[in-house]
Amino acid sequence: MDALVSKYAAEPELDIAEEDDDEVGTGLPQSVSFTLPPIDHPAKFLRAMTDDHANPSAPIKLKHGTTTLAFKFRGGVIVCTDSRATQGSWIASQTVKKVIEINPYLLGTMAGGAADCQYWLTYLGMECRLHQLRHKRLISVAAASKILANLVYSYKGMGLSMGTMLTGVGHGGVFGLYYVDSDGNRVEGNLFCVGSGATFAYGVLDRGYQWELTDEEALELGRRSILAATHRDAYSGGYINLYHIKEDGWVHHGFNDTNPIFWKQKLEKGEFQNVSTTLDA
Amino acid sequence: MASSYMLPYAQQAPPSYAHPTEASQPRQHHWSPYTENGGVILGIAGKDYVILAGDTRSSEGYNINTRTARKVFSVGSGLILGVVGMSADGEELARKVTRKIDDYKRNHDKHITVSAAAVMLSRILYQKRFFPYYCQPLLGGLDENGVGAIYTYDYVGSFEREQSRAFGSAAALITPFLDNQINLKNQFVPGSNGEQPKQAGDLPRATVEKIVKDAFTSAVERQIEVGDGLQLVTITRAPPRTEEEADDDDWTGAAISVELSPLKKD
Amino acid sequence: MNQFPHGWGRPRDDVYGAYDASYLNSTEPVTHTQRPIVTGTSVLGVKFKDGVIIAADNIASYGSLARYDNVERLLQVGTHTVIGAGGDISDMQYLHLLLDNLLIREQYPADDHHLYAPQVHTYLSRVLYQRRNKFDPLWNSILTAGADPKTSEPFLSYVDLRGTTFSAPALATGFGAHLAVPILRRYVPDDAAAEALTQEDAEKLVEECMKVLWYRDARSGVTYSWAVIKKDGVETGNKKIENQSWKFAEMIKGYGAQNI
Repeated sequence: MDALVSKYAAEPELDIAEEDDDEVGTGLPQSVSFTLPPIDHPAKFLRAMTDDHANPSAPIKLKHGTTTLAFKFRGGVIVCTDSRATQGSWIASQTVKKVIEINPYLLGTMAGGAADCQYWLTYLGMECRLHQLRHKRLISVAAASKILANLVYSYKGMGLSMGTMLTGVGHGGVFGLYYVDSDGNRVEGNLFCVGSGATFAYGVLDRGYQWELTDEEALELGRRSILAATHRDAYSGGYINLYHIKEDGWVHHGFNDTNPIFWKQKLEKGEFQNVSTTLDA
Repeated sequence: MASSYMLPYAQQAPPSYAHPTEASQPRQHHWSPYTENGGVILGIAGKDYVILAGDTRSSEGYNINTRTARKVFSVGSGLILGVVGMSADGEELARKVTRKIDDYKRNHDKHITVSAAAVMLSRILYQKRFFPYYCQPLLGGLDENGVGAIYTYDYVGSFEREQSRAFGSAAALITPFLDNQINLKNQFVPGSNGEQPKQAGDLPRATVEKIVKDAFTSAVERQIEVGDGLQLVTITRAPPRTEEEADDDDWTGAAISVELSPLKKD
Repeated sequence: MNQFPHGWGRPRDDVYGAYDASYLNSTEPVTHTQRPIVTGTSVLGVKFKDGVIIAADNIASYGSLARYDNVERLLQVGTHTVIGAGGDISDMQYLHLLLDNLLIREQYPADDHHLYAPQVHTYLSRVLYQRRNKFDPLWNSILTAGADPKTSEPFLSYVDLRGTTFSAPALATGFGAHLAVPILRRYVPDDAAAEALTQEDAEKLVEECMKVLWYRDARSGVTYSWAVIKKDGVETGNKKIENQSWKFAEMIKGYGAQNI
């Protein structure tokens, strides 16, 4: 009937209504339907507009995150990040929360595109909750990370940009730590650093890491590793964001300015001897 | 590609991984759907107020389109939105937010909170992740406790609640000034020999208003895309409900006022 | 994944091929869908005391060839609105078709609601913005001029191929934005000045600007159409630029046929 009506109806006018982005029609929530530029190579268009590395005067500069780390040890998992976001060489923010609290048991870290990480980790939180409701138990970190990896893999080549560590405690008190990125990698491990400051963080972390660390030592090691990265990497800085995941979920251990921590480390512990306290030295 | 630009990810054809090399296709010239209309917006949140201000110049290249363009919009439910960048995209975004806030009120029979609106705006921006809006938005409103809130975004929807933020062509000029004057960065208690930093506290509205005006008059001196006029929008707590207002569905607890003042026009 | 911050999560050349800056190029107005072929140049509009005046010349160019000299670029829409379009003429004619159909549709209910300039302007801006979203722009910049039949409040607004809109007491599209706007703004810097301007002075001002454009815009014409919209409706006419003086060109040597 509809076909018949439309056959004899007048030519439709140019539709000037807004594009239909509401939760109807596709059977999927609005959150997973995206507008693409209607051209042959959408990814090329997106890149031309947003890749401020290839072209520093690209019109749209997206926020990028930088140094993040996470490691497993006897007492659970430590997650630690800096808080700087840069758009090109402009420091867009010094107060970014790069640890995303997916739920009381799961954390994700943010490196790469800030919006991609925020959006897809929030989406993952929704999937985890649905899993919990369907199966009457917590999702395992392995399963959660696989949902995320499969999800971003389906967008491969479209221009998503994220390098995240997904970590937490799952069903049965099992700790998990996975590195997932927008190229489609999903790697399990005991220790990861991600971002431009990762090399500096690895240096300190590898030196001090052992499985039998106490909680206090582990927290201090995470903090010290990020401090090293903020000191040597121009794209890292701001505040140190520290989390500890235990069997009953994560605990936040503060969001603290790096500058006083640095001076405390130098003056009280005698580290960073290369930095002078006076101008002439 | 004619009609495939609204497909959900599950239905999309697998993205072609390797693109044709440059040599295999003729050099193309492309029309850019983007333009830059300049200007700057600035938002500051206080303990019981929000100030969102923008200049009123709209330019394109070296041409001044108009000296009376608005960049801050009231989007309903006591919330305001500032947009800077490409004005067509900015105004489209403001329209969309206004409509969705209205939808929310009709669907839920209550006003949307600023935190919920902040997430909603993030989703609207991310929906155009692959064809972004060329504008940077600031969302302002009073939260559930009547405390001022400014939510700041990048082009594709990453967001954060902040105390103060400047966006636009003079952001690099204004931001260091705000860091120093609003967040009291690198200021120390006198006599403490630079060891006791000043704590950023609640600044009275009158002081913040002065800081905002100073920020704009200074930006006008050094950035050609900024000038002509200042649109200063303030949200304060509304006086307690009167008896007639008790059943008024439009009452939000927020009072929005707009002040226009001149800036240099050269 | 590339660990260097600049490259963070960004597309890699080995995967995507080299960065293609041609997507950013807007200097050469060519798209995969279309380009302007036959074009019109500036449109001027000025508000005055109890109305608004709009003007556009009658030339349609084919590149640098003045192909047609009798093209009407102003269109009356309803009773109190006139639009003037610069840019691609075929796109302008398509918009005229859309507006004709819109007006006819709006007549059906006979509900005493009419489209006036603000509505026409909004309609045009939605059409143009949506076409830019489809990467298939209508290559025009358009002025919408009108007056409210009850309050005689003048209306003047601009919209272009990207959906950018703005309004001011005096506006000009195309070359006029460079040559005419400075002159217009000297007389009509703000709304207060527009309210003080008489119709006679507004007409003179537009005449003066059209003359300047005729002198210096190589795509302009010597005849133009004008329309004045006031409370009681639209008045239109055609004019030829009179009292020309090419004295300023006497000193220009090296281009013409004169003996150097």
